[in-house]
Amino acid sequence: MDGPDEIIHQSMRLRIAATLNALPHGEQLEFNKLKAVLGATDGNMATHLAALEKAGYIAIQKDFVGKKPRTRVWLTRPGRKAFDRHVAYLRELLDGGS
Amino acid sequence: MTVTREEAAKALEEVSRASDRIVTLKGYNQGAPHFIIWGLVWLVANTVTQFWPDQTDWAWGSGIVMGMIASAVAGIVQSRGVKPDAPSAFDPKTARRVGLTWLVTLAFISCLIFISRPETSREANAMISIFFPFMYMGAGIWAGWRLFAIGLVTAAGILAGFVWIGEYYALWMGLFGGGSLIAGGLWLRSA
Repeated sequence: MDGPDEIIHQSMRLRIAATLNALPHGEQLEFNKLKAVLGATDGNMATHLAALEKAGYIAIQKDFVGKKPRTRVWLTRPGRKAFDRHVAYLRELLDGGS
Repeated sequence: MTVTREEAAKALEEVSRASDRIVTLKGYNQGAPHFIIWGLVWLVANTVTQFWPDQTDWAWGSGIVMGMIASAVAGIVQSRGVKPDAPSAFDPKTARRVGLTWLVTLAFISCLIFISRPETSREANAMISIFFPFMYMGAGIWAGWRLFAIGLVTAAGILAGFVWIGEYYALWMGLFGGGSLIAGGLWLRSA
């Protein structure tokens, strides 16, 4: 059995990955929506998104709608795989004991 | 790094909660424009029915066609917005299913009218209209409580109006029925 994914296992990053993973592949979610769904602050969210982006697990796109800046995030293919692996690890741990 | 069984259980719970929440919110956001569109159709067509009864068939016929077109456009725009790299936002398979769902709905309502034979336009209006909020309530049991609440309030309004409002029932249906759908759509969008 694979070990835990240290980047994803942190509580907020796990919730970010779970939220993005529930969307169809390639579907983006606005930063503000994600923040509201998870009840996180701007700073907290930005820190964890940066860690996930650095690992290549999420992608971030910044653009403008009119004059308003917009940030959208989505789970990359490696991110989806890492999330699936980590959840499988957690399930195995519960089923098999350790 | 070691993870205990308790931590694993807690993490899986978090995963499940986060997934459920975003799926519900996504459903709300996708449903919102359709509620607003059909609220407007109810508002306009019922108001025309109240004040220009000879234009009723025309108002409802054109209202339903425009509502279906607007709903289809809203669905296409939504699918483009979330996947900018998608080659085509129009999916013929989905369009066929949506069209068939509409046909089934219209067939059901036609059968309902044929069997129960309402004697007044007020009865027919209530009978047709009450179908939709109950559908929302049924869907809400699976998809999220806000949907259920919109259906409940709308159904209660339709029934209350049917019992207590006489000759101005169509206006009531336009203002309350249409209004509750529009307000419900805005409420879903804000989720």
